[in-house]
Amino acid sequence: MNGEKRFIEGNIAIVEGALAAGARFYAGYPISPSSEIAEYSSQMMPKVGGIYVQMEDEISSMAALLGASVAGKKVYTATSGPGISLMQENLGLGIMSEIPAVIIDVQRSGPSTGAATKPAQGDMMQVRWGTHGDHSIIALSPASVQECFDLTVCAFNFAEKYRTPVYLVTDESIGHLRETVTIRTLAPDEVIDRRKPDKGTVPEMFRPYNYDTDMPAAMPPFGSDEYLSRTTGSTHDEKGEFCPTPENINRITHYLTNKIEAHADDICMTKKFFLDDAEIVFIAYGCAVRSAKSALERLREEGVKAGLLQLQTVWPFPEKEVRKVLSSVKMTVVPELNLGQIAGEIQKYNDYGCKIVRANRVDGNLITPEEIMQTVKEAM
Amino acid sequence: MKTEIVLSGVGGQGLISTGEIIGEAASIYENLFATLTSSYGSETRGTFTKSDVILSDTNINYPIIENPDVILCLAQVAYDRYQDKFLDHTLVIYDTELVVPAPNARGRHIGYAFKQMSLDLGNQAVANTIALGVILKHTGLLKRESVASAVTDRFAAKPNVIGINLKALDMGISLE
Repeated sequence: MNGEKRFIEGNIAIVEGALAAGARFYAGYPISPSSEIAEYSSQMMPKVGGIYVQMEDEISSMAALLGASVAGKKVYTATSGPGISLMQENLGLGIMSEIPAVIIDVQRSGPSTGAATKPAQGDMMQVRWGTHGDHSIIALSPASVQECFDLTVCAFNFAEKYRTPVYLVTDESIGHLRETVTIRTLAPDEVIDRRKPDKGTVPEMFRPYNYDTDMPAAMPPFGSDEYLSRTTGSTHDEKGEFCPTPENINRITHYLTNKIEAHADDICMTKKFFLDDAEIVFIAYGCAVRSAKSALERLREEGVKAGLLQLQTVWPFPEKEVRKVLSSVKMTVVPELNLGQIAGEIQKYNDYGCKIVRANRVDGNLITPEEIMQTVKEAM
Repeated sequence: MKTEIVLSGVGGQGLISTGEIIGEAASIYENLFATLTSSYGSETRGTFTKSDVILSDTNINYPIIENPDVILCLAQVAYDRYQDKFLDHTLVIYDTELVVPAPNARGRHIGYAFKQMSLDLGNQAVANTIALGVILKHTGLLKRESVASAVTDRFAAKPNVIGINLKALDMGISLE
């Protein structure tokens, strides 16, 4: 693989991924355990002709992101649970107005200020449903420093392709884990840029929104000489004008969900380990993948046929791959650093009588391979 | 091959930095797999910290140390916290002026007055690098040149401390 090999932490690899994907605007308010993302972005943005703004809080950070994005930049911010809470209102505006942005949540133990330096995976449902109203969301979760780089690139690509805010949901342990990573210069076809109006589009005929298909309209920058763009957080029509008719409310509610859910095959990324002959399958995401992989190896050494389905995309939920596992094995084990947020989601799709076992740890430490193995053995 | 090294002490002793140097030497200069995780409090100086470094010739999954091969203790609080994790084969390296080893503790103990030696070298901040030299000498884990290159990389922004760190490294390697 081409590129530069480095020994760096996940938070730094995320910034490298953002730069490689073409991000040129960062607004944020530093918070543990995400602060290195702000710090390194403040060093790197000026070097690539981008802008770094330290805001007064996370409400304004999210507002600044939306403003810079409609002006044409690829934008990102990083925070942790307390900041994610504050960003929810403007995140909803980003969803309704269809504004690309990448929000990085380096999760820590909560609720509230919780334990600022300890890992957790307690925000999985907050990122799914934190802002009000029916909507879908994209959230990716890296399990290694390499994936911090790679999935950040994917997050920007999905944000631009689907014109929507996208989460990268990681946690303290992956954010601060140092390991070897290859930082690549991306080939042009690996980067998705915002779609501009087709050549020859008559300005008077241009519409900033399109609800006829499940793909968003082209998005020229606000303030463009050629095209008039208009938006509002209120239910609007193709021109971006307020339009609260029952028909319009109905179609937009469906559209905002469909434009993501109908493309789940494109967005849902999973990795499979030893699934072919597996009798017990771990379903895991983020840091818990590391513990599950070690448990898997040790169980295999003991003759237990274990496998692993890693969810790199957590939202939209990779229903297809999860159903394949649920329908083919007797038992799945879901290790999480929360009390079962994704285990509950998996249960929704369990039409097959598969035994779903939870392996949870919420004391600010990673779940150990031994704990996971113990859970498996008790459930067998 | 898999080696698990705990670097423990109190905040401000440069243990994450030492971990970065080991990890970089291993992964960049010797093509091994390496991980480094650190545990820290909201405070930065004076309270317990530890870094877990794992080196392996295969992919490393769970990055927290379970069976330590080497434990460096530069503070009593660190020694006390780790004492029950010592295994018979664990190499316990400690500062003789900062740590009183427990009688009957498991593991092979090697002590030097790292802090005093660093003061003699003229910079208290290199006690960790002397200890790193001792780790290399007793484990043969990495080539001196790989670690020296990683030291040079690590302090690229502060070139005036590269020399004294290399001196500290060699001092540790040469200790009997």
